[in-house]
Amino acid sequence: MLEAVDDEEERIPPVLTSSLHDIRYFSSLLRGVNFANRATVTITASGFTVQVEEARTIIATAYIFADIFDEYTYSPPAPDPPSHSQSQPTSSPTPPPSSPSDAPTTALEIPLGTFIECLNIFGTANAGAGGAGKGGKRWRRPGEEDDGDGGADGRAARIQQFFTGGEKRTGMRMSYMGEGHPLTLLVAEDAAGPTAKCEVTTYEAEPMLDLPFDSDQTVLKIILKSSWLRDALSELDQSTDKLTFVGNPPVPGQARARTTAKPIFRIEAIGTYGSTEMDYPNDRDVLETVECPHPVNFSYRYSHISKALKALGSSAKTSLRIDEDGLLSLQFLMPSPKPRGGTSQAFVEFRCLPLDETI
Amino acid sequence: MRFRATIENVDTFHRIIQTVEKLQKKCIIKFGESEMHIICHTDESGVQVWSQIRVSALFTEYRIQSNSRNQIALLLGADALSAALRSAAAEHTGAEAVVMKLAKKRDVAVLSVEIFGASRMGRHIRVAHDVHIEIMKPADIDRLKEPLCPEPDIHILLPSLVKVRTIVEHLRALSDVIAVRANGVGKLQISAATDSAKTDVMWEGCTNPKMGAWRLAGAEDEDEQEKPDPEQLFGVLVQTRSFIKFLNAHIVSNTTIACICQNHCLILYVYIGEVADAGGVLTFYIPAVLDD
Repeated sequence: MLEAVDDEEERIPPVLTSSLHDIRYFSSLLRGVNFANRATVTITASGFTVQVEEARTIIATAYIFADIFDEYTYSPPAPDPPSHSQSQPTSSPTPPPSSPSDAPTTALEIPLGTFIECLNIFGTANAGAGGAGKGGKRWRRPGEEDDGDGGADGRAARIQQFFTGGEKRTGMRMSYMGEGHPLTLLVAEDAAGPTAKCEVTTYEAEPMLDLPFDSDQTVLKIILKSSWLRDALSELDQSTDKLTFVGNPPVPGQARARTTAKPIFRIEAIGTYGSTEMDYPNDRDVLETVECPHPVNFSYRYSHISKALKALGSSAKTSLRIDEDGLLSLQFLMPSPKPRGGTSQAFVEFRCLPLDETI
Repeated sequence: MRFRATIENVDTFHRIIQTVEKLQKKCIIKFGESEMHIICHTDESGVQVWSQIRVSALFTEYRIQSNSRNQIALLLGADALSAALRSAAAEHTGAEAVVMKLAKKRDVAVLSVEIFGASRMGRHIRVAHDVHIEIMKPADIDRLKEPLCPEPDIHILLPSLVKVRTIVEHLRALSDVIAVRANGVGKLQISAATDSAKTDVMWEGCTNPKMGAWRLAGAEDEDEQEKPDPEQLFGVLVQTRSFIKFLNAHIVSNTTIACICQNHCLILYVYIGEVADAGGVLTFYIPAVLDD
């Protein structure tokens, strides 16, 4: 049946075609947000985002830029396809016809778990997507020299790159013909090996939860190496119920003192079997940036924060921000396997609503 | 009834039993004068294994004697035999000889696996594993019949089972039933289709072995005429779980021929050792899942 349709639509270019010679980085980005099966993919000319929400409380978005792909072509569907008499007049749900000046986007919904499973069909998408410490540049404070920080990571990544260089890579080609068509994936290991063709069913995108973060009202902003946060969170017992982030303004004269009365950044965890408090020292090697105009204290459900652990684990740097309503934004900079520079570094963002302390 | 043999090829025997063990708790081993058969035919998924192994491929000093045409059939726990063979195969025991024999201990029939080795200090060690067995009556043995299958529509040499297994394990996450299809020009396809995704994994350039020796020459010619289009895919739907059970045989060998009886069953011949010098073959029958 599909073939018959193909003939007819040959003249219309696919909405999206992209290809990659190594899927590991791409799949690690997707796995970072893989906690609910339905994901909304929003395609634009400069890349696409994959967004997942749960319990109307937490949303996770992977920003995947076009230049991580070897090839990336987005041809927005024509608003009113002339050769199509039987199709609906407005085929793509997102671009409002009233604002033609906006960059066109196409939204669709896919079963993300299934998509990742298809991508990893040869079991080759798992290998570490490199821990290149190059990622930090963007969030480094201006004027700071490229010191030892992240250097070790960078070296390790380079060595890793050297060892994995001769390894067989799995490439893929992804295309999407448009609404009502599946997202087609072609995955191949090498010329001699098998090829997999997966047609992942797409659904009409439903409006996603929007949690706007007001960056003008940021009450806490911390940038740190992901490993510092990962180590802290991995210490927590799985029975942890509630996680509280406490921030206090740094005292100017006391930059190096570790025994400040009020911790500059503290993570408190409360669970069935007790509570844990972890304080971060006011040390630039640990907390690269701290912006905290006044003391803050917001709590989140651990089961929600734990959704971010996978993305945290494969990221290089983390930016943790909380706005005055307590909305938490965690941005994870995902190190790309190749040092590419520019804005191509993909990242994954989690936004999570706080627990309402008044109830 | 006497039976005694030295297991020369402990590793291979162990791997065969490991494969069987993953399929079914109990299995039947039928020893004959020049061949042994391992049979699993009661798995609830319908998968059956009928294997035929040349005695000389595994054993030396093989002696067998019984009242029923010098055949002995045993029903035993595959896990127990596997455990005995594991210890015999383990390097640290330094096994010099492994002897398997039929014995009676406290009025219970056992298959005794004796391992003669030496400790690091050079002392002789003898380890014996007794596997409880049930001797089968000749009448029961005669009642065992291999499943009858129609002439397969297609024969194809499978790619490395390890690789196939990785892929099928990922397909398992997608679907409980997979389709195995092949054609006469070396194309093999394993597919899973569900509401959320349709996945086809395709191999090209597989070998279609000539299975002429298994048929009458005349019948083959007829077949060629019947199948004018070698491009046509023949397929069968099987339980993903059953297929994975078969894929556990990857430890035995890397040469496997799949035979597809369209919409009936999938037959897999796993050769022990190289095909040219095969010590035997494990035959898996996987029944088809009938869809729609």
